[in-house]
Amino acid sequence: MFHQTLPRTTALLLVLAGLTLYGVFGGFYAREIVVEIAVLAILAISLDIAAGFGGMVSLCHGAIMGLSAYAFGILTVKFGVPAFPAALAAILTAAVFGTLIGWVTGKTSGIFFIMATLAFGQMAYTLIFQSRWLGGDDGMGGLPRFDLSWLGLKMGSSLTFALFAVFLVCVTYVAAAWIMRSGFGRTLSGIHANEARMRALGVNTVGHRAGAMGFSALLASLAGILTAQHTQYISPELLFWTVSGEALIVVILGGLGTLIGPAIGAVAFVLLKHQVSDVTDYWHIVVGTLLILTVVAGGKGIFGQIEDWLARRKASSGRNGDA
Amino acid sequence: MLDVKNLNKSFGGLAVTRDVSFKVAPGERRVILGPNGAGKTTLFNLLVGELPATSGEILLDGTLINGLSVHERARLGLSRSYQKNNLFEELSIRDNLMLAASASQRKSNWILRDSFRDADIQRTVEETAELVSLQDLLDTPVRSASYGNRRQLEVGLALATKPAVLLMDEPTSGVGPGIMEGFRSLLQSLPRDLTVLIIEHDLDLAFDVADKITVLNFGEVVFEGTPDETRGNKVVRDIYLGDWQSDA
Repeated sequence: MFHQTLPRTTALLLVLAGLTLYGVFGGFYAREIVVEIAVLAILAISLDIAAGFGGMVSLCHGAIMGLSAYAFGILTVKFGVPAFPAALAAILTAAVFGTLIGWVTGKTSGIFFIMATLAFGQMAYTLIFQSRWLGGDDGMGGLPRFDLSWLGLKMGSSLTFALFAVFLVCVTYVAAAWIMRSGFGRTLSGIHANEARMRALGVNTVGHRAGAMGFSALLASLAGILTAQHTQYISPELLFWTVSGEALIVVILGGLGTLIGPAIGAVAFVLLKHQVSDVTDYWHIVVGTLLILTVVAGGKGIFGQIEDWLARRKASSGRNGDA
Repeated sequence: MLDVKNLNKSFGGLAVTRDVSFKVAPGERRVILGPNGAGKTTLFNLLVGELPATSGEILLDGTLINGLSVHERARLGLSRSYQKNNLFEELSIRDNLMLAASASQRKSNWILRDSFRDADIQRTVEETAELVSLQDLLDTPVRSASYGNRRQLEVGLALATKPAVLLMDEPTSGVGPGIMEGFRSLLQSLPRDLTVLIIEHDLDLAFDVADKITVLNFGEVVFEGTPDETRGNKVVRDIYLGDWQSDA
């Protein structure tokens, strides 16, 4: 059951402030990293809704993100649609695709769900990879960024774009937290805890899970649109299943089912990747070791461990207070 | 209220429910008796839709519900509790009841508002907790609640949906005398317009609360009558009380 606690709000503000400061005071390279973190954080938060709250461990979130990037690319580049309506259409596309996957897989769980989402994702990847019209594995270039000149913002500037990315992380978190503490989100947690009983209480669990996948996909599409506008180039690699796998690692590293944990995981993952790859090409070994440590320590993740420690400290100080 | 006609269920060649027919009037308390393996729980599974019937009809308040899914039947007011606890283990007793109340009050799809903060939901949760004597344990996580309290919550979850027909599958199985008394008074304090079917092994409790008793054996209805008629019936004695009587 999701609760927006003080540690979570604090962590959110720290992440947002840290990214903002890094973007403002760092150079061009720092801003690139901020956007990279933002894309991964948004994708991981969206995946946390499906996996952490709904118990639906999806291996197609990369494909959902990539599909929205391509929807945005096709509309803007091939049909000359302006960036804003194209982005709205891309969000809608992802939400429909996500709902559809959720609906079709509605009665599967565990390994079968994972395999079904893997199949859906790889199908989308293959379709785009093989399409000459979409440039095949060469990808597609010349994508526009949003025109925010009416707000006096130049999106071409690396700083403005990095701050826009941080803003999107904030929007994603708030939307996710809002829905997870609504009747819909509470019921989703209930389905995760005991689907059969939830059905017996009168909930259409298949429909509910499909709706949750749709909402999760909607948020994942924000990551797709952001990354498409960032490099202004997209390739089928975005849809490959390893992108989903990486997002899953980030969610577990940060703390499954905490919403803010995945954002922290994204910060840790990207920074580690850049720091370690300066020293060695085998940076995956470090991330792998960290993941193993996280899982062996109980699978709570970085933020989960912190919450646990805070709860225990509070409990013991409560006892001392009574004495 | 509930009208079952020629209900059959077989798994391959094994018939577990054979031509079962009975009618339960609105507000009636019906106890289902029968030895282990008589098909009592299967009957409940058929009624709520967790198992599809092989043939036959189930009418709830005059509506044919055979083709409806589990959640659709639940929304029509058919609610059940389980013989084995089937709860939300990781959540508190309060959150368990909140989920049940949200579902039945159609607030589980609210996306902008928190159903757990809704005044109607909170009232339902408190009323239900009081009915099943859990009002002082609302914030206890289910996994650290006692077995007896879990049995109470098991019935509480079904009650929190404010059903029209309540099916209770051995609510007192494995509980001590204190909670047994609690169930007796719970059954007596339930609203009179609520239709209740209970599978119960405790005969004192069964004869005490029942308006009518249905006895199943090998998937068939072998007797139906009032508690007094049941007590004096030879067929029932032979199959259900037989050994106990001859030992005496």
